[in-house]
Amino acid sequence: MDAAELDLFDRTLRGATEAHSGADLDAALVELGWHDALADDRHAAVSLLFEHQGRTAVTSGALDDVIADALGTDTAPDSAIVFPALGRAEPPAHQVAGGVVLEGLGTSRLLRRDTAWVVVSTPQGIVAAAVKTAELACRPVLGMDPDFGLVEVAGGATVVAPVTPIDPNGWSTAVSGARLAVGHELVGASAAMLELARVHALNRVQFGSPISAFQAVRHRLADSLVAVESARALLDAAWQDGSGETAAMAKALSGRSARTVARHCQQVLAGIGFTTEHPLHRYIRRVLVLDELFGSARSLTAALGRDVLTRRRLPPPLPL
Amino acid sequence: MSMELDAFCHTLDRWLDEHAAALAPDRAMGTLDEHMAQLAKVKRLAYDAGFMRWGWPERVGGLGGSSLLRAYLGEALTDRDLVEPGIYSMTETLAPTMIDHAPPALAADMVPRLLRGEETWCQGFSEPGTGSNLAALGCRAMRAKQGWRVTGEKVWTSLAQYAQRCVLLTRTGAPGSAHSGITALFVDMDSPGITVRPIETMHSAPEFCEVFFDDVAVPFERTLGQEGRGWSVAMDLLPFERSTALWHKAAYLRRRLEDLVEVVPVDALDPAALGAAVQLLAAFRARSRATQYRMAAGERLGPETSIDKVLVASAEQAVFDLVEDGLAPEVLLGDGLGESRWRSDYLFSRAATIYGGTSEIQRNIIARRLLGLGLDR
Repeated sequence: MDAAELDLFDRTLRGATEAHSGADLDAALVELGWHDALADDRHAAVSLLFEHQGRTAVTSGALDDVIADALGTDTAPDSAIVFPALGRAEPPAHQVAGGVVLEGLGTSRLLRRDTAWVVVSTPQGIVAAAVKTAELACRPVLGMDPDFGLVEVAGGATVVAPVTPIDPNGWSTAVSGARLAVGHELVGASAAMLELARVHALNRVQFGSPISAFQAVRHRLADSLVAVESARALLDAAWQDGSGETAAMAKALSGRSARTVARHCQQVLAGIGFTTEHPLHRYIRRVLVLDELFGSARSLTAALGRDVLTRRRLPPPLPL
Repeated sequence: MSMELDAFCHTLDRWLDEHAAALAPDRAMGTLDEHMAQLAKVKRLAYDAGFMRWGWPERVGGLGGSSLLRAYLGEALTDRDLVEPGIYSMTETLAPTMIDHAPPALAADMVPRLLRGEETWCQGFSEPGTGSNLAALGCRAMRAKQGWRVTGEKVWTSLAQYAQRCVLLTRTGAPGSAHSGITALFVDMDSPGITVRPIETMHSAPEFCEVFFDDVAVPFERTLGQEGRGWSVAMDLLPFERSTALWHKAAYLRRRLEDLVEVVPVDALDPAALGAAVQLLAAFRARSRATQYRMAAGERLGPETSIDKVLVASAEQAVFDLVEDGLAPEVLLGDGLGESRWRSDYLFSRAATIYGGTSEIQRNIIARRLLGLGLDR
């Protein structure tokens, strides 16, 4: 896409995420050609949509599509996929006689499809298998973020169609793609929290002046912007170098930055931000859950450190 | 990576390999004198081979081309531990200032001396009473018949004891004229009336100095930019401090973190802290890379580079916190050359949030200029 097309696409996605959520947003994405964009320009399609999704705190099944696309199976656009369980990044299922046993998560799309795709570890390698959703034990999750519409999936299921082998890099490509998508969603949510706190600081008057005049407040907001921009920069770098290691770093930094931004912005928004009258709580809930998807900041960062200590080498630098 | 940059990197890497012996320090590097001698040698060799001239305009003895070439040169020299980036990158700040603001003949005469490593220049900005609040500076330049007469005092002037020239901010307007009464001058450091006194700092390298000016004569032709417009010279200089120079700094941090993980005892480091430092360095590099490309495209760098500065300062302290943690016996008790270097680097990193505009000042800039939060109280 050239600059003008990108700009138009960006505005279209902004409009869609401001007007729709859930199944409606899925339909809108089909309508506006997001899946074609995903095939043509994955970077633009994923980064733009997920930042808007994070900024507006809406939901969609786009993460299913990102994973399906990366797996390179014949899964139709708009299929439902079972993700790894909270905090995990391994295939969510393993093979047993007569079918698969799994433990994972899905978007709300999972409840609207008769079949779902699940990635399975088998002694012969990794495969994708279609299972009947009716056979799965699915629990719509309320939890920390009831609006997220996540579904917890567990139990066994029979496989309804021939399984599709996934090439050896397919699963790690899917995990990296999902991490980048979730990273952008975290950055979008962080930017939204910062904007809420910024506007509040300019309007809230205490001691005869807007609280934005106080350095204690300004520096929290400045640190929030540094956190947002550093995560955004590392996400861009991950798209550029295409490595799973950079994608993991970017996901971790996005999660850590979102927690930093949430902490500062909640403090700046103070009382009103603690009420459900104000939208801040939706973002705080969302980023806590997003941080745990496909590996949390804490676990990915510690794993990176252990890896560096074992190899006694840093990951290669991003080229100039 | 563009083709031009690609070819430059390739040629430079090969040259550095082939001339490794000639470029290597003549002896173990400990003192600042030794670092300065090494810097002059490397600049001279790189200049004669052409590398030090790429990325600079032809009118000051350069060979033209993108500023990205300079970013890579400093990175490659730092990565091979041939120069210390703090003293190397002064060129990145001072040469563009001369190119943009000096009379063309003066720039054409002087800049090549800096690039060749023949001369060292310093930057006279801070004063004892003027740290973060630069616009309150008081070093006075009075108009006389023959030229300016400068009287006052500067502090934290890096490498003044080695410098032949100084880019000096002076007060030419009325006291209290703030931003509007400042004039930038290019001063010969051997002028009568200048006294330099190095400051002993806790990291044991006397690179900062106090500089005293007692009725020092400076010709009018040595005015940089217009009289009374020195603030804009200073403001144009600062983004250079936060572009190529920070890229080089980050290359050094990476080099030292790599040195650390090669030697650190197993279990001496918290993996989470190490992972976070690696991520922070990678994020800085990603951020700074975009800055390098914007500068190369001729974009005017502004307050957004304060984000780069905050990030690199955090990265520097994170890296050397790990050093102090993982190599505690070396840093705390060691007296060998390598151990003293770890200690000096660690101690110097404590100043990363102080020099070149404190992190508080950077946050004020971010708050006011990037977040639109208005003036502070």
